[in-house]
This record gives sequence, C-alpha cells and structure tokens, in this order.
Amino acid sequence: MAELLQYLITGISVGMVYALIALGFALIWKSSSVANLALGQIVLISSWFTYAMLAQAQFPVWLAFPLVILFALGLGWTIERFALRPLIAQPILALITVTLGIGYFIEGVVTFIWPWSVDALPRLFPREVAHIGPAVISQEYIWVVGICLVVFALLTLFFRHHKMGIAMRATADDQMAVQACGIPVTTVFSRSWMFSCVVAAIGGILIASIGGITHGLVQTGLKAFSVVILGGLDSFLGAVVAGPIIGLCESLGGGYLTPYLWAGVKDIIPFVIIIIVMVIKPYGLFGEVRIERI
Amino acid sequence: MSLPSGTRNYTYAQDMAILRTKTHWALFIGFLVLLLTAPLYLGNYWLGVANLIGITLIAAIGLNLLIGYCGQLSIGHAGFIAVGAYTSAVLTNRLELPFLVGLICAGLMAGLIGLIFGLPSVRVKGFYLAITTIAAQFIIIWVINHWSITGGFVGIKVPYASIAGFEFRSETSQFYLIVSIAAICTFFAKNLARTRVGRAFIAIRDNDLAAEVMGINLLYYKLLAFFIGCFMAGIAGSLLAHWIGFLNAEQFSLTESILYIGMIIIGGLGTTIGPIFGVVFIRLLQQILTVEIVPFLERTFTMLPAGFATGVTPMLFGLVIILFLILEPRGLAHRWALFKSAYRLWPFSY
Repeated sequence: MAELLQYLITGISVGMVYALIALGFALIWKSSSVANLALGQIVLISSWFTYAMLAQAQFPVWLAFPLVILFALGLGWTIERFALRPLIAQPILALITVTLGIGYFIEGVVTFIWPWSVDALPRLFPREVAHIGPAVISQEYIWVVGICLVVFALLTLFFRHHKMGIAMRATADDQMAVQACGIPVTTVFSRSWMFSCVVAAIGGILIASIGGITHGLVQTGLKAFSVVILGGLDSFLGAVVAGPIIGLCESLGGGYLTPYLWAGVKDIIPFVIIIIVMVIKPYGLFGEVRIERI
Repeated sequence: MSLPSGTRNYTYAQDMAILRTKTHWALFIGFLVLLLTAPLYLGNYWLGVANLIGITLIAAIGLNLLIGYCGQLSIGHAGFIAVGAYTSAVLTNRLELPFLVGLICAGLMAGLIGLIFGLPSVRVKGFYLAITTIAAQFIIIWVINHWSITGGFVGIKVPYASIAGFEFRSETSQFYLIVSIAAICTFFAKNLARTRVGRAFIAIRDNDLAAEVMGINLLYYKLLAFFIGCFMAGIAGSLLAHWIGFLNAEQFSLTESILYIGMIIIGGLGTTIGPIFGVVFIRLLQQILTVEIVPFLERTFTMLPAGFATGVTPMLFGLVIILFLILEPRGLAHRWALFKSAYRLWPFSY
C-alpha cells in the first residue's frame, strides 16, 4: 500500500513536469505550427545554466532564477530570430529538421562548456521527508506539483486575459485574418518561442532538482512528446491531463513490470505509449482532428 | 539545361539513358577506373574512411528514398541500421551462418521492423511520424541493450565477412565489397525513382491526398517506401558490423540519426547524386575535424576548455544543417546542377 502510494505521488509529480515541458511545445505549435524537436536540448541547457548560476557562480536563489528566466527568454528569441524566421512558409520537413539542427548545436554547446556531463543541482527544496499516510516521500515532489500548478494557472490566465495571449490564440486560429487585423505575426512567433523556452526551463530545473543533471534530460524532453501526442497537439487541457497519466504509467510500470521484463522498462514506457496512441487515436485525447482538403 | 546544347533525343531510349553523350561516357569510365584503382594510392587509413563513406552512402540512399522521394520523415534511421547490424552479427556469430545469409536477413529484418514502425504513416504524417520514428529509435536501442542474445551493454563480436571461403580481411577487399554494393544501391535508387513506384512516391510527397484521389494506393506505397528505405539501412548495418568487427548500441544513437538527415539535406533531397555529395561532405568533415583540426587546435592553443574536442563537432554539424536549410535548402545537388549549366553555357550565359 505504502509502495503504491509512493509510486502514485512520484508518478503524478514527474508527470506534471512532463506536462509543463509539453506546454512549452504546445505554445509554439499553437501559434506557429512549428514542431520544436529541440525541446529536450533546451531543457538540458537551461538546467545546466541554472547549475552554473547556483553552483559555479554561487549566486543566491533570488538572483539566480531571474537570470535563468532571462537566459531562457534570450534563448527563445535567438532561436526564433535567426533559425525560424528565415524559414517562415517553408515546408514542414524543413521546419522539423531545422529544430533538429538546433538541438544538435545546443548539445554541442553543452558538452563544450560542461564536459563532465553529470552533476547535481544544489538543493532547492527543504531536505526533510514528508509523510503522507503510510508513504514516505521527499518533499521535492510536493513542491514540484505546487510549482507546476502555479505555472499552469499563470499560463491559463495569460491566454484568457492578456492581450498578447489572445493574439497568440488568434494567430493559431487564422494567420491571415490576424495579419489583416494588424497584429504583428512575427512578434507573436517570437514571444511564443520565448515563453516556450521559459516553461521548458522551469520544467528542466524541476526535473533536474529531482534526478540531477544528466544527458538523460534530452530524453526527458523527448518523453514530454508522449504527453503532447496523448493529450493532442494543440490542447493545453490535453497536456495537463495527459502529463500525470504518462507519469503514472511510467512509475507504476517501472515499479511493477521491472521484475517481469528487463530492467529500465521505465524509460521506454512513454515511447511505447506514443506508438500505441499513433495506431489507435493519432490526434490524441483532446486534439482537433484536422480535415484536409486538396 | 540537363543536356549539352545540340544533343537531341530521337528515341525514348535515348531520352531515358543515364549517360547520354560521349563526354558522359568518358567521364564515367574515368571515374570508375579512378574508383576501382583507389586502393593502389589510398593508404590503409583513407581506405578505411572510404569504406565508412560507402557504408553510410548505402544507408543514406535508403533514407533519401524515404524522405526525399516519398516525403515520410524518419528520425530513427540509426535504429534501423542497428537492427540490420545486430541481425547480421547474431546470425554469423551465434548461429555461425554464412555472411551472405546474414546480409540478406539483416536487410529483411530491418525492412520488417521498418514496416511495423511505418504503419502509423498511413494515418499520420509530418511531426507525428517524426515522433513515431524517434520512439522507434529508442525502443529498438532499448531492446538491443537488454536482450541477452545481442550481448547487451557489453557488445558483440562480429566475424569478418566471407563469401565462398574468401574472407574479407583487409581494408582493400572490403572496399571492393562495399563499393560494389553501394554502386548497386545507387543504380537501383536511380532507376526506382523513374519507374511507376518512384513517380508514386513523388506524388505522395507533394500531396498525399491528391495522390490517393489519382488512384495511388497510399498504404502500399508508403509501406513500400519504409520497407525499401529500411532494407538498405539493414544492408548498411550488416556491412558496418562486419567492417568494424565489434558492435555496441552506442554507435547507433539518436544524434547519428539526425546526422543522416543532415547528410541528405546537405546533399539535396530527392536527387540521386545528393546523398553522395552529402555523405562525402559530412563524413570527410567529421574525419578531418576529429583527426586533424581539433588535435591541432588543442596543441596550439593550450587554454582551450576540456570539452572543446567533443563539443565542437556537434556544434559545427548543427550549424551546417541550419545554414543549409536557410541558405540552400535544395542542397549541394542544386549547386552542382547550377555549375553544370553555367559550364555548358559559358561564355554566353544568356
């Protein structure tokens, strides 16, 4: 019982982080229909940057986090301005492969600056363990869930009420009409990349504070795609619902299937889910089924 | 501008011929002679590089058929190469079957796995397919790492290739083996692209809905593209296994898959000559960078950070992919065509 509860809580909190990273994907997809496959590498580089601020430069937390946010904003702006802007209206193949190239480049930068490739973030959350019923879990998981919920709430409010958020939703709906209304579409794209990088960076910091910074963070970013796929590409609600489902599948499957299958089955479950969803319901739980016309 | 001025086609056979003029023939035979005598003046080291280029070329041709002609984005190509490599390794090492059986089975096995992961392509495309193939890559590598028959994380030894008692031990003998298979694959790809199958692929790439309306069986042709592309990956994997002699799943990472896509983009999607340009460009760059330039820089500038050697290669390759997509999306093949037409029209370019 205690074991099950533990799996449930870790699963949900890790799933929340996946959902957060998936939101970073959906932000860009919704506004500009660009599939950002460099998400994993963005997660990786921003958690390394956090490490550099906190452990290498020894900045206090209140100074380090604004710097990380600034870094993520700058990263998003740079990527959009120099790699994606020249490719507006190119075929989807070019848009996908350019993000692959960006990911490759970022990975190179990371190995260039931090060649030792494995490290732990300094403790961000209190050390004491928490007791929930019979289960004993470290407090990090609870903090992670809390922070994720706050970010979700902020993003929802932003999209409901802020002018830029409404412009982004409008751009996603109909680019031509938005341009005719005088909304600068390129600014919308640029902002969506910046916000997406910030969301991915927060996700990266949270997951790195649990599991440390490794190259596996790239895979974590890719696992977030299973959330995107299961929830539906263009749905925020889908990401928030699918995230915990994927997290639960991963932790429960990892906990109960490992004795029967090979070790490390945990890491592969999200990818198996991708394949299953693709065959059964490719547009996900909440995704909009696009009707194509010639 | 595809032919020199004054060359006219009077029959269909002339129109279809790959080598059209006497100059073509002379250049082609000269190239063949140069290629087949390469072991005479290339040292063992450069011969090894040539072998790697040949193996990569076979896989890249398959990927080009899949992405460049049929438009089905696959980011798991290294995974399919791994399937071929391990099939061949297991068959020849554990079951001690002959090399040719291993080679054919490697192709078939990779093709079969490709079919399975290509199935979603019937319903989805673009980003969805990209994600499916990434998932395929991770699942394949995970199975290889954990299944006892493949040697797992430790790796597996592979014997030399041998046909009818002749063992391909030296780089020279392997060079001829690899070059002949690569030549067959190039010829096959060139001819496939201008048959009904190739035209169907191109129609699907340009607009799959319209293609279906015209009466092209999407299920059949998409899966066929996956099968052929992955079959070639399997063949390349088998050759790679017997060439290296030792396999480890680390050799087939996701970055390798991305590099393959980079190669065919740099070369030029949907052309026969593109993969050749791209593969030679990337593999030579990789070789020169890791063996010559980076050690030289490290010796000259001692204050370089420790990650310089491992970090600079992916940085440069990522940059090259991005720049090619932005500046020359049609790749080196397009530049080559421009050069040819400029050369033919010189000095009266109008």
